[in-house]
Parts: sequence; C-alpha cells; structure tokens
Amino acid sequence: MTNNEMKAVRAHSASGSLGEILCLSSLFAGTVINTVCKFAKHSILTLAASSLLLAVAPTLRAQTIGVSIPAATHGWAGGLNFHAEQTKARLEAANPGLKVVLVTANSASEQANDLEDLVAIHRMDALVILPFESAPLTGPVRNTKRRGVFVTVVDRGLSEPGIHDVYVAGNNAEMGRVSGEYIKERLDGNGKIVVLRGMPTVIDEQRFDGFMSALEGSNIEVLDDQYANWNRDDGFTVMQDFLSRFSEIDAVWAQDDDIAIGVIQAVRQARRQEELFIVGGGGMKDIVKRVLDGDELTPVDVLYPPSMISTAMELTALKLISDTPIEGEYILGSPLITRENAEDYYFPDSPF
Amino acid sequence: MVQVANGDAANKAMAITSQESQVEAPPHDSLLAVKNLKKSYGEIEVLHGIDFDLRRGEVHAILGENGAGKSTLVKCLSGFEARNDGHLYVNTKQEFSGSDNSVVPSIMTDNADTAQSIAARDWTHASAEAAGVVLIHQEFNLAEQLSVAENIFLGSELCGKGLASLFLDKKKMNDLSRDYLATLHCTIDPTTLVSSLSVADKQMVEIAKTLAKDARVLILDEPTAVLTQKESTALFELIDRLRGRGVGIIYISHKLEEIERIADRITVIRDGDLVGCYPAATLSKDDMARLMVGRELSSLYPKVPAPDELASVALSIHGLHVAGVSAPENFELRRGEILAFSGLVGSGRTALFETLVGLRPAQLGSESKIFVHGEEVRLNSFTDARAHGVAYLTKDRKGSGLLLNKGLRENFSLYALAHFAGIIIDTRAEQSAFEKAVDRFDIRMRDTGVVAGNLSGGNQQKLLLAKMLETTPDIVIVDEPTRGIDIGTKSQIYHFLAELAAAGKAVIIISSDMSEVIGMAHRVAVMHQGNIVGVLSGNEITEHEIMRYATGLKAAAA
Amino acid sequence: MTKIDFKTAGPFIALVALFILGIFVNDAFLSAGNVSNILARSSFIGIVAIGATFVITTGGIDLSVGSMAAFISGCMILLMNALMATIDSLVTIIFLAIVASAAIGGLAGMINGLLTTKAKIEAFIVTLGTMGIYRSLVTYMADGGTLSLNFTLGDVYSEVYYGTLFGLPYPVWVFLAVAVIGYVLLNMTVFGRHCFAVGSNESVAHYSAINVDRVKTATYILQGLCVSIATIIYVPRLGSASGQTGILWELEAIAAVIIGGTMLKGGYGRIGGTVVGALILTLIGNILNLTDAVSNYLNGAVQGVIVIVAVYLQRGAWRAKD
Repeated sequence: MTNNEMKAVRAHSASGSLGEILCLSSLFAGTVINTVCKFAKHSILTLAASSLLLAVAPTLRAQTIGVSIPAATHGWAGGLNFHAEQTKARLEAANPGLKVVLVTANSASEQANDLEDLVAIHRMDALVILPFESAPLTGPVRNTKRRGVFVTVVDRGLSEPGIHDVYVAGNNAEMGRVSGEYIKERLDGNGKIVVLRGMPTVIDEQRFDGFMSALEGSNIEVLDDQYANWNRDDGFTVMQDFLSRFSEIDAVWAQDDDIAIGVIQAVRQARRQEELFIVGGGGMKDIVKRVLDGDELTPVDVLYPPSMISTAMELTALKLISDTPIEGEYILGSPLITRENAEDYYFPDSPF
Repeated sequence: MVQVANGDAANKAMAITSQESQVEAPPHDSLLAVKNLKKSYGEIEVLHGIDFDLRRGEVHAILGENGAGKSTLVKCLSGFEARNDGHLYVNTKQEFSGSDNSVVPSIMTDNADTAQSIAARDWTHASAEAAGVVLIHQEFNLAEQLSVAENIFLGSELCGKGLASLFLDKKKMNDLSRDYLATLHCTIDPTTLVSSLSVADKQMVEIAKTLAKDARVLILDEPTAVLTQKESTALFELIDRLRGRGVGIIYISHKLEEIERIADRITVIRDGDLVGCYPAATLSKDDMARLMVGRELSSLYPKVPAPDELASVALSIHGLHVAGVSAPENFELRRGEILAFSGLVGSGRTALFETLVGLRPAQLGSESKIFVHGEEVRLNSFTDARAHGVAYLTKDRKGSGLLLNKGLRENFSLYALAHFAGIIIDTRAEQSAFEKAVDRFDIRMRDTGVVAGNLSGGNQQKLLLAKMLETTPDIVIVDEPTRGIDIGTKSQIYHFLAELAAAGKAVIIISSDMSEVIGMAHRVAVMHQGNIVGVLSGNEITEHEIMRYATGLKAAAA
Repeated sequence: MTKIDFKTAGPFIALVALFILGIFVNDAFLSAGNVSNILARSSFIGIVAIGATFVITTGGIDLSVGSMAAFISGCMILLMNALMATIDSLVTIIFLAIVASAAIGGLAGMINGLLTTKAKIEAFIVTLGTMGIYRSLVTYMADGGTLSLNFTLGDVYSEVYYGTLFGLPYPVWVFLAVAVIGYVLLNMTVFGRHCFAVGSNESVAHYSAINVDRVKTATYILQGLCVSIATIIYVPRLGSASGQTGILWELEAIAAVIIGGTMLKGGYGRIGGTVVGALILTLIGNILNLTDAVSNYLNGAVQGVIVIVAVYLQRGAWRAKD
C-alpha cells in the first residue's frame, strides 16, 4: 500500500469520529446559547426575531392567563375542555387586553412541562390549573407561584396548603353525602351495595368519606369498593367482576356518570337490571335524560359540573383586569337531580 | 479467437495478447457472445475489452486469478451488471423484453452488419433470464424456510385454472419439481424444507431452478467448492447430459483437474485482459497455471525442511473425543512440523479441532488431556486457547472469520486487541501493526475505503491469516486454508505456512485438497467418520494411500 | 473528503434546522428559561438512550426501560420515606437511595442480560416480559395510585433537578458526563470494539475469542445503570411515582437512538447521534407547544413523521448505492 493510500485510510476513519464529537458538542452549544440569551436580552438576534414577529402579530404584550387541564381522556374531562374553550373565546372577545392560553396534558409530567412552558414562553400572569394528580404537581405549581404568578386551583387540590390564591371546586364531600343519603333512604337502611371509585386523588377521598359518613348508623353493607378511574371501560370490567362475585346486590354507587354507563352495560349483559339501581355523578346529559324519562335503573343523579372551569377562569380574569377582591375558596353546590328537577340540569348541546 | 493445435500452445499463447484478437462477427452457432466488453466500477476499469463466445453444447471454462475479473465478466454476461462498452449478442432463439418493454429479438446472422447487438440497458438480469441465460451463484439464493418445490417456482408460481386461479397449484408444482429433479438423477422429495438439505442437494435445487426457467446458457461459478468427490462426479454427469441437449455451459473453477476433465475450450483472463481462448486438449495444468499468473511460477509448494529430530513436542493430545461422535484420539506434534489432517468432507476434522480449542466447550470428554509444550492445560474456551498460544483459523472465512461490513484494520485487530490497548485503544499502534501486516501478507485492496466483504477471496484469506497470527501463536491450526482461492494466492499462503514451520511453530493443516496435503505436510493423519484411522509419513504419503484410509478401506493396526 | 456524509452529519443538520425553526416560530423560544428547559427535559431520555445505544449496537433491544424507571422510582421513594423515621440526615437518606437505585438498575439489567444470553430467549421477548413485571410491581406498590415523597425530603432533593451550575441545570451536566463516558467506552476501548463485533456477526466474534454472552450481558447492565441515573435525577422533579411514570420511555429512547444513526440490526453505533436524537425529540414537542398551528393532540403524529423522515434521509433509496 502506498503512503497516500494509508493516509487516505486514516483520514477516512478520522472524519467519522469528528462527526461524533460534533454531535456531542451540541450539548455544549446549548450552554453557550443559553448563557448568551440570559445575559444578552437585547442582542441583535432577539431584536431581529422579535421585530420579525411584530410584523406578523400586531398584539403587544397582553395580560396572559394560562389554563392547564387534563386532556379529554374521559367524559367529564371532555366537558371540561368544552367549557374551557367556550370561556376562553368569550373572555378574549370581551377583553381585548387579555390573552388566554389553553394547554392540555396526558400525564403529570407532561403537565409539569406545560407549566414550565407557560412561564418561560408565554410569560403568564395568572394560572388556572386542574392538576392531573395532586402530589406530583404540588412542587411545580409552587415554583410557578414563586415567580409571581396568581394561582387558581380547580377541583383537585394540591397536597400542601398555602400555595393557591383561589380554589374553585365542586363540593366533593357533599356529593358523596347526598348520594349516600339517597341510597340509605331508598334501601331503608338495609341492604348490600358495591362502590366504584374514581382515580386515587384527594377528591375521590373526599367523596368516599362523605358517602361513608352518610351511611353511618345504618345496616347497609358495602360489599367492596374498587377504582374505576372515571371511565366507562374500567367501570364495565369492575362491575362485571362484582356481578360474578356477588349474587346479591341491591344498589351501586358509580360516583361518576361515565362509570355509570359502563356499569349499566355490565348489568344489562348479566340481566340483573331488576335487582338493583345505580347512582352516578356529574350530570352527564345521557344520564340526566334517563332520570328525566323515569328510568328505574338510574332514578337519580348528583350534580358535579365540569363547567366549574368556567367559574375559575372568569374569576381569575376578573382579578387581572379589575380591582375586585378575589381570594379564598369558592365551593359549588351538589344537589340531587331527580325526575322532578331534571329539566333544569339538562343541556343537550354539551359534550358531557 | 486464437486457434492453436499443438503442444507448444502454451509458449505461443503467452506471446499472444488481446490486441491481436480480430474483431469479427461471432459465428452463428454461438449461443452468447461479447466483443470488446469493457466494465468500470466508478473510475476504475476492471475489464479492458474482453472477447468471449459460447457455442451450443459446449463447456467453456474461464480461468483467472482472484481479482482477474472472471466474476465481473459473468455478471455482465448474465445481466447482473451493466457493461460500459462493447457488443453483446444472444442467439438462444428466445424472445425477451427490453428496458422499454419492447420485444428484443435474439438472433444472430452470419453478416456482421446485420447481427444485432443487445444494448446494455436492455440486458438486465430479468431479460437475461427470459432469454435463457442463467447464473448460479456461489452463495445459494434459496429461501431456507420454504420447500424445494416452492423455491424452484419462486417468482413464477403456478396457479390453478378458472376459479382456482386465486390459489396456488401446489400439486402441479410438486410434480413438475419432481420431474426436474429426476432429470438431474436426484431423488429429493420436493416437499422437504431447504434448510434440512445438505449443501450438495441445495446445489441440485439451484440447478433445478434453472431447468424450470428453461435455461439455454448455464453459468456455474465454483460449483464444486462445497461438494464431495461423489457429488462432484454426479454434477459432471449432469453437465454431460445438459450438453447433450444443446445447453451451453460457462464454468468457473480453480480446480485445474476438473477443468482438464470437462472443458471443451478455456478462456484465460489476467488483470482484466483477455490472455487467450484455447481448446482444452491443448493445455496441460502447468500451462493453465502459467497463463493465469503470467510468469514462471516457481514451485507451487515451497520446500519445507524436515523438522529437527530433537525439537520438543509442541502439542500432545490424549483421549480427546467429541462426545457421542468418535472414539478417543491421540496424536502429537513437534515444533517446526507440519501435520496435515486429511479425509473426506464430513469426516469430523473440523468438529475435532473446534472442540480441542474450546470453541465447542461442552463436548469435551472427561478423560481428555491436552499438553502444550509439555504442560497440561484445560482449554475451556477459545480465550484459553489464545492464552496458551494455540490459534485456529476457521474454514468459513466469510461467515465466521471476518466482519464483512467492517473495515480492514478493524478486522485485523479484533483477535489481538489486547496488544493495542490499556484502557483506551492505541490506534496509532494498531495502524502501524496493520500496515506491517498488509506488507508482510501482501493484502491487496481496490481502494482504501473498502470493507472486508469487498476483498477477493484470496485477500480475505490473507487478512484472516494476518488477524490470527498477530498474537504470535506457537501452534497454528488452519482449516481449509486455500478453498476457493486462485493459484497465485495459494502459493503465497503455502509459503507463509512454510515460513511458520521454519520459524519453529507447529502447524496443523486441515485440508480436503489431496495435492495440497501431499505437497505441504511432513506427516498426514487421515480421518474417517470421526476417527483417526491412519498416520502416514515420508514415502507413505501418496494419494492412493490417503484415499484408502479416507474411504475406510484400510485402518491402521490397533 | 468534501462529500457530505449524511450518516453522521444528518442528525446534526436536522437539529440545527429545528432550532432555526423554533426561533422563527416564537421569539420566546430563545428565552432564558426555555432553552434550559429543553436541555433538562431531554436529559432523561438522553441518558436512557445512551444505554440503549450499547444494547442496540450489540444487536439486542430493551423494551423494559420505562417500566424499570417507574419501578426504581417507586423503590427509591418507599425507601426514602421509610428511612425518615430512623435517620436524621436528609442528605444521607438521599445518598442511600441513590446507591439503592444503582443497585436495582444494575441487577435488573443483569437479569435481562442473563435471560437473553444463558436462557437463550430473544431479547424482545425477555424485555417485553420484564416490562410488564416492573410496571405492574410499581402499580402494586402504589396501590393503583401514586407514591409520594415526603415533602421535606422532596424540598432538599429537588435541588438535584432544579439547581444549576454555571447556568446549566444539573441534569444536563449529568447527561453530558454520561455521553462523554459512553462515547469513550464505545469508540476507544476494547469493550466497545467487542460490542461492534458482536453486533456485526456473533459467529465471527466467537471465533475471535470474544465472550459474546458476557459482552451482551454487560450492555444490559450498562442500560440498567443508565436507567438508574436517569431516575435519580427524575424523581426530584415531581417527587412521585405511579403506574403511569415513564410510560413510552422505551420507544422514545429507541427513537432517539435510531434518529441518531445507530442501526437497529446492530454492529453500528453512534453516541453523538443519540445525544442529537434526544434533543431533536424534545425540540419537536417544545416547538409544537409554541405554535397554535398544529393541534397539541397531533404531537405524537408529528413526532412519528419526523422519525420516519429522519431515517429515510439517512438510508433511503434516494441515496446512491454505497
């Protein structure tokens, strides 16, 4: 082999490793860029970029509300998203100086990412958040608060007190209690029931505790309770198992209308409709319709509206654009929906 | 075309070069012909204007060293590669479609002006097959998990008639396959899975495939490399039958005895040039070798001095056996000695030695003892063997010897990496060792960016040798070191092995090539069905004796 | 040699292109927090992907990494919460949890490796099985819910994720360190060469006196350790572990490795490419969040398209045959 050939071989292998090192150095590049950005806010680059953007988007920096909610993985969340979008449109139309950024997340860590982005990119002034899970989001929300953001927490509370400025929720304890009282009355204090729960969160605990306290002193036996994660597939499988295990069930507390749909299918499949009745929760239009029509299987429902996100957003917007004092806890009521008053709670346009 | 008719052919032929070949129209009984064929890979021209023609019912052999361009030539002939220049004529009287799907007639006439050359872009692998020109590769193109019949009809499956045309007509395919195999005197059941066939049977299936395609020109590239004597004989009988039917056969091989036996004409190619085309009867094996190499070949086998009588015993084996297969073996090997292990393909030599060096650990019998330089050792793994200075070169250089898609230096250093590394590999030391090895073993490559798979067989073998000798082992075991390699490189390898012995190493050569065994070894151990049946030395080493032991006709006195 | 070698340059060019796209889309892209967020977020997948590069280079695959991460997080949290009662020094508790994490990760990797090599079960199947086992174990440990780290501990520990050194978050430094070590190990040591050989052709490796089983098992152990490291810096972010932790990490890690140029079939590995691949995946998600042009729900679709395009550009039919 000639010397030139040897050199070529060596050069060939060197260029490969050079490429590798280049790629590794992209991490260093990130550092450099980051430092540059931190200390050179008015650098030519950002000037150029922002003037480009200004040419495209005429809005100056508005007051921004960030709204972070779970993605529509179950029916109630679908209603949540619907109402959030409606309220966003309404607020932005009514208030030209106000910008609402709506983001949805599929998991706790994704929601944490969203919070970071809302702060870093959208520079929000206020946050309206329905945490995917209470414990993991407590830290990230606290960080957001530390940056001077006004925090409104909806429905699922955080694991630590003193972080939120405003808390808007349904009354989970009352919801459980109302359901429990209805069942106790209907069964005359005596009977066997099964309970389907939601996801292991603070509100599920509150509902369950409210329910159990209502049953105290009666002879009602809770055969078993299981998590059905607030969706109808899980509701179906959990109820199927209950039906196989227990030959005698007088009533079912499904706690949520999505779960109730699954429960209804399972009960129909086992042909045990006559034997029991189901109490759901939430106010889904299908169930409310059934109550309206006097369905024996679902005689009542308990309200827990997803439109509470609208309440939260309106309150927060009010805080930003006016001097109105907004602080503390706003708890919405949870009345029992019966055949008599079902008319008032029936909204056929809503997705929930 | 050069016609020579007497024994001085060789001398005459050497004086004649390709420039003197007249360019004339190919004779009209040729099945396939090319004139002034040129082929380049990128910037590099590998065929510099070759003339070749194949007649009806002829066996035309192509001879040349590794890298001379034989494979490239047949790939151009069979449409697997597109030629860059030159004319190609086909006269198989079959129609096929060109690149724009128009029908290309394949007829030649007497008149040079009207003989139609087929354009390079029309001569693809598909159109070549449609014209009846079929190439059988060295590596089989068979789907292992399908049956024989399914393979034979792969790509041209037969379906039923009418409503049944949605489904395969398996019965018809099986029956036809049986017929094709019968013409080959082969009794394999067409429903057997290819993966369960022996190598020779797989080759039969490959040939049956060509019958299904109604081949008029058959190109065989090293067909007997993996066949035993008996199987090779069957193949030759088949070739005779095909000839009788008018099929033309192009035959590439390094085994000069075979070419002597079956070829009608021989075309010799050297470094991409046509040396000449001769009637086979006019060339002896020596002539062939000389024409291929183009220089006076000093003796193919080097003179290996007899080992020193007082040299110590390098390797001593007692009671070694491959569990369940053979009875315990004993043998000894001294420093500076070359011991050959001969026998028929399948006699168990590879199994024996792979067990010895720890490549097949679990099969070592419990009573076996191995002594290296007098010290008892346990070779539980190949790493142990390396540690004790025992090296083994596999006979499967492509499948188990070299990483075909990695560069040469990487391949070279893989076995001896520890020599170049502390925590980090010292690439400079590696590179200089590699350069030294390339020099010492004369490893030649087309360009510097190649991977091992691009090297010719001979250079691959030399690379493998360089790789395994880098750790300077004391005991070197080579398994089929010159299989599928041209004469020139074979000679080089023999010289390397002789050097090793002269330097005091102990060498074992496992080989099925009789002349190689006779030419190189001090002693020959012959194995038959897993046992060493005889050890020959000195004048006893003759082809006749070895054969008798190998075929089990004779066994050494117990 | 001025010919653009797409195999090595490709991913880097894509990264630069995406970066420019980000700047164009929203001027806040270059904001103080955002770049730092991107780098930190890519560290988890990046560290896991470096381990995966070794496994894939030797021709194996590990589908259990996401579940392993969830399982290790759960164990760490349980351990730390339990130790609160007996040990005073919070730093000691965290330190012990880190050691436990490494031990569990290494052990899990070894199990994957031994099952693949000694029991001779395909890597895909083995890791599919362990994937299911670990995830269900952590769901069991969390009783279907979430395991939460004690808040005082969480406060101290969160410094590991949220703290910075010279303006760069700690996770990024860890990522860098792992990448450099990985690069040296794969490209400059005997072990690295053995990995390439085993991935190229196991038979050749065997006939070159390489202990194939040991090399493969080592790569799985390396992968397990990488998962441990990623978990150690992940736990302080949210301070919780559940059945949902680390879902789809395995696919993202493998995607990062493939985008970076390593081949699934083995024998060819690029650590630098893996780093770039992880950055690209994170950047895609970030850019999609910046614009309203594409609905958030289509994040997954966009990522999928980009992965396919990236691989096609690397080795698609449009490139001249080598």
